[in-house]
Amino acid sequence: MLLVLAFGVAPIAAAAQVPAPRIVAADATPTDWLTYSGNYQSHRFSALTQINRQNVSQLKPAWIYQVRRTGIVETSPIVADGVMYITEPPSTVTALDVRSGRPLWTYTPSIPTDVIVIGSPPVNRGVAILDDTVFFGTVNGHLIALDARSGAVRWDVQVDDNKFGYYVTSAPLAIDGRIIVGVSGAEAGIRGFLDAYDPKTGRRVWRTHTVPAPGEPGSDTWSGDTWKTGGGSAWLTGSYDPALNLIYWGTGNPGPDWNGDLRPGDNLYTCSLIAISPVDGKMKWHFQFTPHDIHDWDANEIPVLFDATIDGRPRKLVAMANRNAFYYVLDRETGQFLSALPYAKQTWAERIDAKGRPVRRSGTAPSVEGTLVFPNIQGASNWPSPSYSPQTRLFYQAAREMGTYFFKGEPQYKPGEPFVAGGGRAVNGDDAWGAIRALESTTGRLKWEFKLVTPPMSGVLSTAGGLVFGGTDEGNFFALDAESGKPLWDTQLGGMIRANPMAFAVDGKEYVAIAAGYGIFVFGLP
Amino acid sequence: MMLLHLLLVVAFGASAGQAPPDVEQGKQLFNGMCARCHGIDGTGDEGPSLNRPTLTRAATDDALREVISDGIPDRGMPRVRRLTDNEVRQLAAYVRSLGRAAAGATSGDAAKGRATYDKLGCAACHIIGGQGGSFGPDLTQIGVNRGPSYLRQSFLGPAEALPRGTSPIPGRGFTEYLPVRIVTGDGREVRGVRVNEDPFTIQVRDSSNHFQSFRKSDTREIEKEFGKSVMPGFRGRLTDQETEDLVAFLSSLRGAQ
Repeated sequence: MLLVLAFGVAPIAAAAQVPAPRIVAADATPTDWLTYSGNYQSHRFSALTQINRQNVSQLKPAWIYQVRRTGIVETSPIVADGVMYITEPPSTVTALDVRSGRPLWTYTPSIPTDVIVIGSPPVNRGVAILDDTVFFGTVNGHLIALDARSGAVRWDVQVDDNKFGYYVTSAPLAIDGRIIVGVSGAEAGIRGFLDAYDPKTGRRVWRTHTVPAPGEPGSDTWSGDTWKTGGGSAWLTGSYDPALNLIYWGTGNPGPDWNGDLRPGDNLYTCSLIAISPVDGKMKWHFQFTPHDIHDWDANEIPVLFDATIDGRPRKLVAMANRNAFYYVLDRETGQFLSALPYAKQTWAERIDAKGRPVRRSGTAPSVEGTLVFPNIQGASNWPSPSYSPQTRLFYQAAREMGTYFFKGEPQYKPGEPFVAGGGRAVNGDDAWGAIRALESTTGRLKWEFKLVTPPMSGVLSTAGGLVFGGTDEGNFFALDAESGKPLWDTQLGGMIRANPMAFAVDGKEYVAIAAGYGIFVFGLP
Repeated sequence: MMLLHLLLVVAFGASAGQAPPDVEQGKQLFNGMCARCHGIDGTGDEGPSLNRPTLTRAATDDALREVISDGIPDRGMPRVRRLTDNEVRQLAAYVRSLGRAAAGATSGDAAKGRATYDKLGCAACHIIGGQGGSFGPDLTQIGVNRGPSYLRQSFLGPAEALPRGTSPIPGRGFTEYLPVRIVTGDGREVRGVRVNEDPFTIQVRDSSNHFQSFRKSDTREIEKEFGKSVMPGFRGRLTDQETEDLVAFLSSLRGAQ
């Protein structure tokens, strides 16, 4: 299998290196990793089988690349035709030779010293590739296109004004004729949106706000001028169904985070999944997981697309292990709610009703004296990716088991300053833990779990070799049996893992890669 | 770094001529966010007491507002949450009011407390100023880090309040000096305190103060003995005056003189 596939790695003389149809067919060429989550369906699954249950215990480092500036390395590498494209904190792109780990080019944009990054560390989670161009966002709110072979700038546009707190950390999504990118900044009281740009010119084709203006659908869920600082950042990479021609993107918390008094109502389309046409940016449907959120439970987690039969009926589905601790399954053609089950401890909702709306428990709102609620402020999940294996039909999730004392504070908006009105104190240490959980993808029922001593901020990768790879804050990179959760291999990388694993192959050999500490680590069989 | 810069802007953006901060509101904020470590009324607990006229890390009001805004991460004080400048002013005003109202932290005599410390043989396991055994926590500046009520508790009933995560290892609020009992694959029992841990391995110092490292998969049993301490408790073995003297001595330990 690998031998046959390896032909796909040979240099392609054609002008376009990674045309869109190649990304659509990403499952057929697992030697490459062409989009953030491996395929447009966001499975973060590798069909490679060379590293498998029988031999994974022999994994050895192939090469290590160390970034040149300290900071949290959250990058998820892209691999195309023998080149790995990574990002380094805060907004540098580097191309590496996958055979040796040696840099081929690097590009660092000029970032103003007074850049405003409120709501996350100044990180970058990866690039997108399309044709001969690499696309990435910056902490000062730009979207930049680089020539894939030289790193030269093709174009550089301002997505929005960083003076108001707009910035970009996520990998853009590259599809045919469109580069889709969302912004961060809800903790600064931005008005969120999703943008599409022309890959050739950088011209903005459309912008769809995640918070409606007065008169637009959903505007009745806001009062007064609160929509102007309504948040709803679209800060993580979404998914794409080429057949339905719909993009699926999660949206973040309303602003301010922990005091909802000024914004009574559901606050659409925050904490939602939105389905959008890439042609014109029109919203086909939306589903709000946490109406009127007051705990900062963004719904930016990766939407995972798969098909399955439910109640005897074949359906096109989208699933999300939401930050609010529930695993949701929706019909991705219509947005119809199908089911929700908690996949981690939660104390805020009595249940999810038949339409998918939570029935809140009383006494769970943030308060001046602090209110203990599960999940914690960073959620039962966050940006680290889940994985879906078409082999096991399981949804793998790194779950965070922790509570937070939530505080309510004063809402005070000043442009470019924190607009959060509260916060939290985590109940950490021995009172917190985590697990890699395998959920039945159509229901969220637990199949197995592997316990971790701290809540993880590392994503997972599943492979056709029957493995699930994951990482820990303590620096462990490990492989579990995808069927049983039994640990099969682990190693210590010497720094926190706050990144997503991925796999690729070159010269007929499979490798798995993950960032840890200040480096990218690549492992293969001896 | 950038975040820090922004917070300073928020904290010190207050202009002159503002109304005096609401101390009662500051107390409410304090009881929610700060009292768990600094004690109700700032009497100190796991964190240092704040009911003192002079605060080591916050000699000036500017320094106090900075500490409240940013925490002291290298000393185990987190930035609990982002605060508006008004909230910072309220908290700072409340903390200062504690200093003005401060009563004596302890009625004890530090010199007599030193004698009690020696008599009990505490130096077998604790270092002060570079001298002593290393099995237990270094006490050289324990008076800076811990309040009197915490210190009293720590030797009367140490198992009831094990120290939590002020050091970077194991970090993030993990219980320090947690007693563990490990049964190895060949049936050997090892007792000691946990030094560090991850899902696959655990590192301990055994009862003879030697490091031991285990792959969890190679052990038969790992028991974490929450609610226990390897340090003896002295409740019922000291008079009230000896107790207060010892608290006074420990409170006086404030680093290199």
